[in-house]
Amino acid sequence: MSRSEKTSATVKERADIALNNDFLRKAVRFTTERLRNGKQLASTEHGNWDEWRERGRQIRLHTIAHLDYYLNLFVENARANGVHVHFAEDTAAATEIVMTIARHKQAESVVKSKSMVSEELHINHALEEAGIEAVESDLGEYIIQLAGEGPSHIVIPAIHKNRYQIAELLSKDAGEELPPDTTVLAGYVRRKLREKFLDADIGMTGCNFAIAETGSMVLFENEGNARMVTTVPKTQITLMGMERIIPSWEDLEVMATLLPRSATGQRLTMYMSGITGPKRDEDSDGPEEMHMIIVDNGRSGQLGDPEFQELLNCIRCGACLNVCPVYRQIGGHSYGGTYSGPIGAVLTPALNRNVAEWDDIANASSLCGACYEACPVKIPLHDMLVYLRRRKVERGHGNRWESIGMKGFAILMGNSKRLGTALKMGRILQKPVVHNGTISLKIGPLKGWTTYRDMPPMADDPFRERWSKLEQELQQDQVTMDATVKDRMEQLVQARQRSKRGDFDES
Amino acid sequence: MSLDTNRSNDLSKSKATNIANTVNHNATQPPWLAELEQRSRRNQQTFIDHISSRLGRPRATEPPIHPFRGAPSFWKEWSWEEQERVERFTAHFQEVGGHVVSVDNLEAAGEWIAQYAQDLEAREIVRQQLPELEQLRLEQRLPDAHLAVWNEDQQTDWRATAAGADIGIVMAEGAAAYTGTVMVTSSAMQGRSVSLLPTVCIVLLYKKNLHTRLGELLVPLDQRGRQQLPAGVHFISGPSRSSDIENDLTIGVHGPGIIYTLLIG
Amino acid sequence: MKVSLFITCLSDAIYPQVGEAMVRLLAAHGVKLDFPSVQTCCGQPSYNSGYWEETRTTAKTILKAFQDSDFVVSPSGSCTYMIHHYAELFKDEPEWLAQAQALEAKTYEFTQFLVQVLGMTDVGAYFPHRVTYHPSCHGSRLLGVKEEPMALLSQVKGLELVPLPFADDCCGFGGTFAVKMADISGAMVTEKVDHIKETEAEVLVGLDMACLMNIAGNLRHRGEQVRVMHLAELLYEGVAVR
Repeated sequence: MSRSEKTSATVKERADIALNNDFLRKAVRFTTERLRNGKQLASTEHGNWDEWRERGRQIRLHTIAHLDYYLNLFVENARANGVHVHFAEDTAAATEIVMTIARHKQAESVVKSKSMVSEELHINHALEEAGIEAVESDLGEYIIQLAGEGPSHIVIPAIHKNRYQIAELLSKDAGEELPPDTTVLAGYVRRKLREKFLDADIGMTGCNFAIAETGSMVLFENEGNARMVTTVPKTQITLMGMERIIPSWEDLEVMATLLPRSATGQRLTMYMSGITGPKRDEDSDGPEEMHMIIVDNGRSGQLGDPEFQELLNCIRCGACLNVCPVYRQIGGHSYGGTYSGPIGAVLTPALNRNVAEWDDIANASSLCGACYEACPVKIPLHDMLVYLRRRKVERGHGNRWESIGMKGFAILMGNSKRLGTALKMGRILQKPVVHNGTISLKIGPLKGWTTYRDMPPMADDPFRERWSKLEQELQQDQVTMDATVKDRMEQLVQARQRSKRGDFDES
Repeated sequence: MSLDTNRSNDLSKSKATNIANTVNHNATQPPWLAELEQRSRRNQQTFIDHISSRLGRPRATEPPIHPFRGAPSFWKEWSWEEQERVERFTAHFQEVGGHVVSVDNLEAAGEWIAQYAQDLEAREIVRQQLPELEQLRLEQRLPDAHLAVWNEDQQTDWRATAAGADIGIVMAEGAAAYTGTVMVTSSAMQGRSVSLLPTVCIVLLYKKNLHTRLGELLVPLDQRGRQQLPAGVHFISGPSRSSDIENDLTIGVHGPGIIYTLLIG
Repeated sequence: MKVSLFITCLSDAIYPQVGEAMVRLLAAHGVKLDFPSVQTCCGQPSYNSGYWEETRTTAKTILKAFQDSDFVVSPSGSCTYMIHHYAELFKDEPEWLAQAQALEAKTYEFTQFLVQVLGMTDVGAYFPHRVTYHPSCHGSRLLGVKEEPMALLSQVKGLELVPLPFADDCCGFGGTFAVKMADISGAMVTEKVDHIKETEAEVLVGLDMACLMNIAGNLRHRGEQVRVMHLAELLYEGVAVR
């Protein structure tokens, strides 16, 4: 997210910008389609996908329900491995720790592998203000860093850019004209970043999973840049959201099954690295000093909240973005936060405790549930969006006109006689605006609808008015129900009554 | 080194036998770091207590019963026959752009590597310092190339050596056919850079170490326990790649763009 | 055996012919529907917007309406699924909660009722047209109605079913979303209609009038001639023509 874009106040305004950017929409559609097809193929090929999802969910639920135990266990083990563990309750605390380390290391440059937590903390900005060069080494991250933007996708940060835009950015960086050829562009970044890796004082990473029982951290990646960051510089700083824990390596098999398949449709990312402490004394590579900063930054607010605790189960695969019909239309930057798509629409407000500032991100969803269906750990994001809306209303931050409208709705729908009268009145009132069996009036709340669609008028005879005539007519020649059908229905009713009593259904 | 193979969540025990991987920083720590460490221990109490309080209960200190550990049970019970493991591993590794070559023994592996290096006109080769790799006899086979053996001396900048190498040669500790993955570990003799920085990576894998599922490589890491774990365990499933530009696949972004597994046996 | 029709406010006010088709089709198979007229709306518009207190008011009309029914059948998967939220809405009101759970257990979406309850996939319909099917999100994903409509459509004589590309993608309706986020919703329905056009189908069939109203509105706005029908209408027409 470039800083200028961020100033657009509402998700609607930001979405308008995106909706009018044909290229962006095409690029996002193209890539999300590939990713979701890849996921579909990979999960089908693997088989029993729902059982794996359920397993993943159970492992995450269990770990989060005992997070105090497992996080503490992780910390003790990581320390015993020689890691300097730090705790940061918010952005300021995390930044202060990073800056303290950087200052004492007299660091001039930091090379980073992809980390959503570091995006959340805006660490690059803090480093640069202190005159320390921060270099993103993931190809996509490097591109958006050159563009002065944030990631618009959790897994594919530069999803919104095409090769011509990328060639332009990299040409400027190289000081020479580079052709819009993927191989050439990637080759340039490889050469350029090789030097950066070898020169960097500090390597900074995120953490996909942290293994409590051995104090190890696990990174998934395809490019090898996370391996570079954890192999070459003398000091390593890892930023980790406090919920990244899993109990054991054995549990990692489940996460390694779910994450790559859900994210990119791969059996496994090209590299999965488990790192247990800094380099051993006799080793000739690996970091001499390793720091891990465990970040809360609003996460603990979801703990103990039955409606939102499952958000902490998220493994940041991006599958919900790839299936989201809204994300596909508006891209990641429209969400206005570090995390975009359905997970961002819930996570951003959830991490931000100020309800009044929730803005309207939670409204940018048709509640279609595609995110839930795609989620490898079955987070009910569509339900959470409704909970967010409800909390905003309950705490008195609801839109005034909407609140009045909903009160009216309840009065109307709270009584069938009132509804019946309203249907009669509606029919009379709509007469002046119905033409050719449609309403195309573009005023008031109807405008949003009628810009893209015609509106059908109310029926001349609503069902409740048709009913008595219909009922009488059908009474004339009644058909007898088939005996087997009748039997089926009776059995269903009996089975229902049995299960209500708590009996075992023998069938 | 104690061979404590108990699960390392037995903290009291691992503290009592505090050796091996445990690095004692306090002795050599600069004051700023010691101060950060002290602060960390103070914050740990508050931080974790806060989690317990959010969870609405006193701090959990006993290991909870974890009924869902690892893969679903149907998954833990199956495996492929050796022939199928080889076929699947090969297919999966090749599908993502890696190469697999079957050789009878280390001698044949040495021969193949020498031929390959000559074809490539490789000048700089680096390998791990392992007895098996010595048996490749590459020094004799490739008199014109410069053959570096990882961490052979204290003076060399080994990272730079690896970065300048055309070929890096490593031994895999194990592999999983289902995902097409080799597992390479680090130690003083087995630098992480050898499989990472050279242009080409050659991984040697004994057929007997080729398993079916990833879990067959992961579960033993739990069994080894914290103190016996290497600093780096790297699971490699093919060449370095990226799809960050228009979802167009590019090979060899930061790590080796060419990777061979020599399947021995 | 009391089988009641849960008409849904949208079909009541705008698409009464859908309810009528259901009533007539089921009557032809000996299922006499009853229509408790105290029902109003399931409360989904206010529920989804976060106005749960208001939702409880309207939900009670539904709970009261179907107290004595053995089965409840509805032409909307989305409104049927809304009833699955009632237990959560009334979790602190034990009497209503019991009713909510009872209603959830006996309420079926139209195709669920035909296939699961009546055990019927062939209603004897003949419909010689090129048809494509849009699976509405709430019905298919949340309520799990995926196979039933396929089973019913496959038994219609003369019907040519053309797969809809990206069928599972939301049409962009989403209730108040279509008004609040009109441009995003508009882009979504435009894409949906583009895909419908690709199929060159004469008829678009679905199981939820809200989504169909959205899609039909865009088709009509663009001057497209595709006929939009609820499956109940299609089946009834197929039987009646015969």
